[in-house]
Amino acid sequence: MIGVRRATCRLGLIIATASAIGARAVAAQHLLVPMDDAQQNHLKAYGLTFAALKLSQKSEWLLNYRGGAFLVPDTPELRRRAALDGVTTVVADDGAVAAMRSEIAGGNMESVVLERAPKIAIYTPPMSPPWDDAVTLALRYAGIEYTTIWDEDVLKGDLAKYDWVHLFHEDFTGQLNKLNISFRDAPWFVAQRERGIATARKMGYANVPALKKDVAERVRAFVERGGFLFAMCGATETLELAIAARTVDIAFPFSDNTPIDDRADEKLEWARTMAFKDAHLERSQYINSMSDIDGHQVNVPGRRQPLGTFTLFAFSAKFDAVPAMLVQDHRSVIPDFYGVTTSFTKATVKSGVTVLAFEEGAPWVKYIHGDYGKGSWTFLGGHDPEDPQHNIGSPATDLALHPNSPGYRLILNNVLFPAAKKKPLKT
Amino acid sequence: MHRRIAERLAVRLVALALVAFLPRLAAAQDPAAALLRAMEFEEKGKLAEAVTAYREAIRGPSMVQAVLGIERAYAQLGRSDSLIPLLEPLLRERPSDPTLRAAQLRTLMSLGRRDEAAQAFERWLAAAPADPQPWREYARQLLEAGRTAAADSLLSRAQRVLGGGREVAAELGQVRAALGLWEPAAESWRSAVRDAPWLLQAAVYALHPTPSATRAAVQRILVRHPVEPGARRVAASLALAWGAPRDAWTALSALSANDSTVATWLEFAEQAEAIGEWGAAREALVAALQFKPSSGVALRAAQASVSAGDAKTALDLATIGARGLDSAALAMRVLPVRVRALAALGKPADAEALVTAHGRWVDPALRRRLSGAIARGWVRSGDLARAKAALAAAGTEGDDDQTAGWVSLYSGDLGGARRELKRSGETNGEAISALALLSRTKADSAPRVGAAFLALARGDSAAATAALVQGATELPEAAPLLLALAARIHAARRDDIRAIALWTQIVEQYAQAPEAPEADLEWARALRRRGTVGPAVERLEHLILNYPLSALVPQARRELEQLRQRTPT
Repeated sequence: MIGVRRATCRLGLIIATASAIGARAVAAQHLLVPMDDAQQNHLKAYGLTFAALKLSQKSEWLLNYRGGAFLVPDTPELRRRAALDGVTTVVADDGAVAAMRSEIAGGNMESVVLERAPKIAIYTPPMSPPWDDAVTLALRYAGIEYTTIWDEDVLKGDLAKYDWVHLFHEDFTGQLNKLNISFRDAPWFVAQRERGIATARKMGYANVPALKKDVAERVRAFVERGGFLFAMCGATETLELAIAARTVDIAFPFSDNTPIDDRADEKLEWARTMAFKDAHLERSQYINSMSDIDGHQVNVPGRRQPLGTFTLFAFSAKFDAVPAMLVQDHRSVIPDFYGVTTSFTKATVKSGVTVLAFEEGAPWVKYIHGDYGKGSWTFLGGHDPEDPQHNIGSPATDLALHPNSPGYRLILNNVLFPAAKKKPLKT
Repeated sequence: MHRRIAERLAVRLVALALVAFLPRLAAAQDPAAALLRAMEFEEKGKLAEAVTAYREAIRGPSMVQAVLGIERAYAQLGRSDSLIPLLEPLLRERPSDPTLRAAQLRTLMSLGRRDEAAQAFERWLAAAPADPQPWREYARQLLEAGRTAAADSLLSRAQRVLGGGREVAAELGQVRAALGLWEPAAESWRSAVRDAPWLLQAAVYALHPTPSATRAAVQRILVRHPVEPGARRVAASLALAWGAPRDAWTALSALSANDSTVATWLEFAEQAEAIGEWGAAREALVAALQFKPSSGVALRAAQASVSAGDAKTALDLATIGARGLDSAALAMRVLPVRVRALAALGKPADAEALVTAHGRWVDPALRRRLSGAIARGWVRSGDLARAKAALAAAGTEGDDDQTAGWVSLYSGDLGGARRELKRSGETNGEAISALALLSRTKADSAPRVGAAFLALARGDSAAATAALVQGATELPEAAPLLLALAARIHAARRDDIRAIALWTQIVEQYAQAPEAPEADLEWARALRRRGTVGPAVERLEHLILNYPLSALVPQARRELEQLRQRTPT
């Protein structure tokens, strides 16, 4: 746990996760949801807090306190949900809460009020390809409501309806992650390609890369206008490439029937992007890589880098509450996991971007965050924190087997972050 | 680990061969003697000395063994990189030697020197352009390193260069399986085992993780016409492993009968017997018997048949198995299966007569064993008095506690059953239910409860459930357990309505009983089967909230997740 002091005060009896409702007198006013090793189900604890917000019950996120604990009102509904979900809670009466606040005031800790359940959208294809999406899995498992949207919804302007948008592992350059190299005849690949072409045609675009570029542009505008964006894996890199390449052809002939612009690298407009700069495009259509943004190059023999571990940065909870929220965890060092884009080469990350997690001594970082216009974005490299190799066709990760996943917690931190009352000042 | 054991074994075998056939060479200072010395050093763990001796042996006729020895020793010493300069001059002399080339590739890959490995592969290819070996070896190395996509690209290239995938079919099968392309993987393995039947286990291992939705398609590829014996064997092993013994036998039954096929059938029967798939075992044994009559196989088929519940066929097979046997062998080998079959057919009197007819050949131990089977036959006929008499006549009270215990229970003699069943150590489902009942009551007699268990043993589930419900009034202290047993029988017969009525009674009237959480869980499952998700969720929530310490809570939570579609089902 980064910068977290072990709680020393005793807040009362730990409620066994399946404690019978009404089995004890309800004198307490709050339920503390510890997020350190005492918690039996970290992932569902986020769902419990989200449920409190949905019930219009103001809650608090106690940054760096007991692993980033939550304080929710003690109501029969929330007690019931905690018991059903196996979420460990601690009854905290007024005295205990006062003692806790005093401890928080004296250390690198902070209480952030969570006010409103954010409206969440996941940009995901209508027919899922043969790989899972960690965010969808996490939200579904935690019991957090979301809506799915796709190209037509984005182009209709639906992004404005949501506070927080997650991008599924889409290739915004319109080249289907160059998976045609290995899967050109696989039925799911053919279906995906045909669906993209049909959508482009229906929406009046010349080809899929043109369609996706426009979608990327709408996503960029969404953030600029104040939205929260979270992207993982290949969506991070390709979104930025598509935004930078607004007026440049960076797609190979197999996707748009025209060659890539010979001077594409120098024509990319990095001033428009959120996170990356000065990246170089992969010039071969037979090499399964998009650019040198990704540090691990998992699908390129000879370039692939081994997996290590990444370390979450310790922020000041009082002065850097936003990044502190995004790194709340009960582990500070987490095993790395591959994805189409696994990590972000330091040389391509813009100055001013906040690095949330890094690998000691490596030329890449794992988890980054920044502001853009009135909004903000967070990128996490890799595909699935609990499936480090993740091959196409692998079964979806069953999160019931990983209820304490520190990697999945990073995803859920992002979901609750837009619920915070105010944007605290950065140092 | 296995690889290390195999390597050690190989070292020992080669050393033994050299000791046996080249004793004089051992004394002389020539390469063969150096090889022998090197192996002895390696065996003793003196790896540095082993390397020196292997290097002496490298110029001799056993160059291959010497290089492999150095590779092993260097690997254990953590000096694998030292092998590379050693191989260079040897490869200049023998550029297409597969052992040297493979050792070079392995070493470079294990050192993570990927670019050099790729270059080494290209050099090998240039030295042996038509040889599939470089493709196979490099693909295997890439797969071992987890570089599936690279192996896939390599094999696509191999197919173009070699004019098809046949030469690298096994490697293609592995790559495709690793990529989750199960049907193409099955195609490759079908081709691979045609030319290399020793790859059968590798094929089964690679295809075993096929997701259930794709298994039928994989099987169709393996069993399609024309019949390929290797592919059929793969299909059968997979079907057996996937819990479809009937499909397994179907795959093998189409093979033309010959000695090799019969061996396959008998091997399959052995696997099926080992996992208690008696029906499939019997089919395979009968097929083998038709091509190659044998008393032993006939009697195995008879045993499998009676275990599969087909006692009539078992008697016919026992008759075939009896042919040519003398009286003693008939008594020892054929009589037990005949007695079992007759008892199962409800003809215990015929079984008794048979034992009497073979009297002089039946020793006391066998007699006791047979009397247990006969007693079970009388139980099946509903004649408990004669069952007891059969056991008493053979003096089995001390030896066959199991049967005696059941007979006591069926008679309602709970005291006797408690003594005998506890001693028998039986652990199947029925015995556990009976022991649970006996531990819940101190009563020594309960005729209605005994009648319930007897009805169950006779396969009369309707009478059993009725008697169990009546027994709940006879033994109120064990009522929830008896009701839960009755509910389980109803549920097994897909009579969810009656089962739910009993579970409701348990949850409402015996909320503190240990059966209450189980009733909640089973009730929820029944509701789920009936497609009523909302009430099923209610039951699971009731269980979690009211029995928080029950061992069934994790299971209930899991099923609740599935009902809410929050986890993959």
